[in-house]
Amino acid sequence: MKVKVDKTLIASVALHVCVLGWGLMSFSSKAFDLMPEDSVPVDVISSDQLAKVMAGMKTGQKAPTPLVEKVAEAKPVEDAVGKITEKPPVVTETTPPPAPEKPVEKKPDPPKPVAEAKPKEEPKKEEPKPIEKKPDPKVDPIAEAIKKEEKKPKPPVQAAKPPEPVKPKTERAFDQSKIAALLDKRDPSRQAVTGDTLNSNAALGLAKGKAADNSATWGALFQAQVERCWKKPYGGIEAQKSEAAFAIKLKRDGTLEGMPVPEGTPATPYLRVYQESALRAIIECQPYKLPAAYFDEWKYFAPVFTERKT
Amino acid sequence: MTDNNELPEMPFRLSRRQIISGMAALGMVTGSARHALAQGPKRVIIPEGDFAPLPIAIPNFVAGTPADAEVGVGVTQVITNNLKRSGLFAPIDQAAYIEKVINIDAAPQFQNWKTINAQALVTGRMTRQGDGRLKAEFRLWDVNTAQQLAGQQYFTSPEYWRRIAHIISDQIYERLTGEKGYFDSRIVFVDETGPKERRVKRLAMMDQDGANVRYLTRGADLVLTPRFSPSTQEITYMEFGQGDPRVYLFNIETGQREIVGNFPGMSFSPRFSPDGQRVIMSLQQGGNSNLFVMDLRSKSTTRLTDTPAIDTSPSYSPDGSRICFESDRGGKPQIYVMAATGGPAQRISFGEGSYSTPVWSPRGDYIAFTKQGGGQFSIGIMKTDGSGERLLTSGYHNEGPTFAPNGRVLMFFREPGGGGGPSLFTVDISGRNEQKVPTPGFASDPAWSPLLS
Repeated sequence: MKVKVDKTLIASVALHVCVLGWGLMSFSSKAFDLMPEDSVPVDVISSDQLAKVMAGMKTGQKAPTPLVEKVAEAKPVEDAVGKITEKPPVVTETTPPPAPEKPVEKKPDPPKPVAEAKPKEEPKKEEPKPIEKKPDPKVDPIAEAIKKEEKKPKPPVQAAKPPEPVKPKTERAFDQSKIAALLDKRDPSRQAVTGDTLNSNAALGLAKGKAADNSATWGALFQAQVERCWKKPYGGIEAQKSEAAFAIKLKRDGTLEGMPVPEGTPATPYLRVYQESALRAIIECQPYKLPAAYFDEWKYFAPVFTERKT
Repeated sequence: MTDNNELPEMPFRLSRRQIISGMAALGMVTGSARHALAQGPKRVIIPEGDFAPLPIAIPNFVAGTPADAEVGVGVTQVITNNLKRSGLFAPIDQAAYIEKVINIDAAPQFQNWKTINAQALVTGRMTRQGDGRLKAEFRLWDVNTAQQLAGQQYFTSPEYWRRIAHIISDQIYERLTGEKGYFDSRIVFVDETGPKERRVKRLAMMDQDGANVRYLTRGADLVLTPRFSPSTQEITYMEFGQGDPRVYLFNIETGQREIVGNFPGMSFSPRFSPDGQRVIMSLQQGGNSNLFVMDLRSKSTTRLTDTPAIDTSPSYSPDGSRICFESDRGGKPQIYVMAATGGPAQRISFGEGSYSTPVWSPRGDYIAFTKQGGGQFSIGIMKTDGSGERLLTSGYHNEGPTFAPNGRVLMFFREPGGGGGPSLFTVDISGRNEQKVPTPGFASDPAWSPLLS
């Protein structure tokens, strides 16, 4: 049986094969090594909140040193507005001396946009420290007030003291011990900004403010890179508890400056193997491509390899 | 509490210390963050990396004398095969190697092994000694840290080179996984040949990788459920002779066999106690069967259960204090646990279907079983209190799990259905890595020996 084949068909097929084959050859390439993008958390905040993030004051000047009104243990005040008075508690006869009580939440704070980043931000009144003082009925309010009035160059903004609205209370629970505080008609006040050295100039704040670091960004980058080399040993039940931490120093080019230093000695053979596998991964995956801007942060840090579910 | 719930969603998590202190403060996360900032370098969490087999390079063992080249290659192949079958290692193809190891006493050029992404490297040498013995040396290197992790030498008769390879495999496995190995061990199983109607079943024994098959019985009688003694070179099994099935002891070294006890009726599903001094088994009495234990030295027999149900397939916990077994006292066959001295039994299996052939892991952490339900037979494991049940493999017919000496791998037999016969498979207790075990013919009822060394 003879099959008649169209020559043009053959030519067409041959040509297609050639073109497609050439295309497959020349267009194939190694997959691009995509560098993970920096994660940029975005929050919409008011200028007031910005001032808080910058650890500065809206009306301040550009000075690197923070405002300090009183030499004491550094305890910057978040919103340096208002008259300085250590307002003593109003103790009435009827109320028994309040037991070492739970914090009296007078100023519920709006949720912080970068809570982790600026640890020193809460208003003083939420601090446990001032509360320790409050139950002490021996403080003489007058002597205390006089002491306060003696010194203190007023902070520059004080002239333009904004009307401080009485913060709405969220806690509606009736608390007998708070009645006195409610009846207290004195001006709202704050505590002195303390620090190592006196500095009467309020500052506009720093570029980074009190944001602790940018480890969310470069930490994720480091994690993504080191995970590629990590051959985690299979460990069964006890693997769920494993953790290995190291202290590592990186050079600017992302290579290790020295051997990673493991934290602690592993207790079991599996933990030893787990730690070794992590160590191998750290060494094998260098150099790390981390944002140069944050070199000061990632030149020395502690990667923690963990199986513990948070 | 809310901040604790938020944590997992954050791309960069708080460190453990922060979390612990955060929990302690219950909602004062900012307070704890301040606390953590005060300590040491910034902690970056690398959570829950995926398990991955370790890339390992095993170049051929160097020949000490020109005559040893063959055994060097053989040892390398056995080690490579062992590690690969374990599923925990990814041996790198020898064709990719850049460096040829010539002298194992000098440190290798680690850069050459880093280039091919090896994380571990095994070098070794086989040398025939003047007295005819074989010397085996090996070194295990960590490529990234350029350190030797292990190094040993062994002497043996040349015909035991495979065992040396298994022992070296165990060393590598143990050093790199933190677990005891299981390669230097044997399997006893029932070898099946012939057509389905007239199957000849012989007791056979082989290395765990399927090499060195030996037949222990001739196949005149039907044999079932062979079990290794944990401490001696003995096997106990059930044999259908001319009369009722009986439990026998078989000495591997001498080939001698003896009947265990002289009971009226059937005795079956025997298993050794962890000290090897006793055999626990089922005795049939009328329509039901109960568990008995016999002391092999005094030949005294103790009854452990007395129920109108079928109690069978007993297996000791590794410390010998408890027994798991199968019983249909609740209607369907289920797994029960009781003290080794008898007494009240506690049911631990509560899933759909019926459970049988329980076996206690040598590590003590799991009980493996066969589960029947939904038209399928599955092999699974559960914790010894019955929680955390996990099926490792399912299909037409899977049965008879037995644990490797390290409790990390199970062997069982599988029948594909249709005309074929059963064959042996291994699966690790995660269920990820299933491997067929090579046998000369059909094979069933495997039992894993303890480590030989």
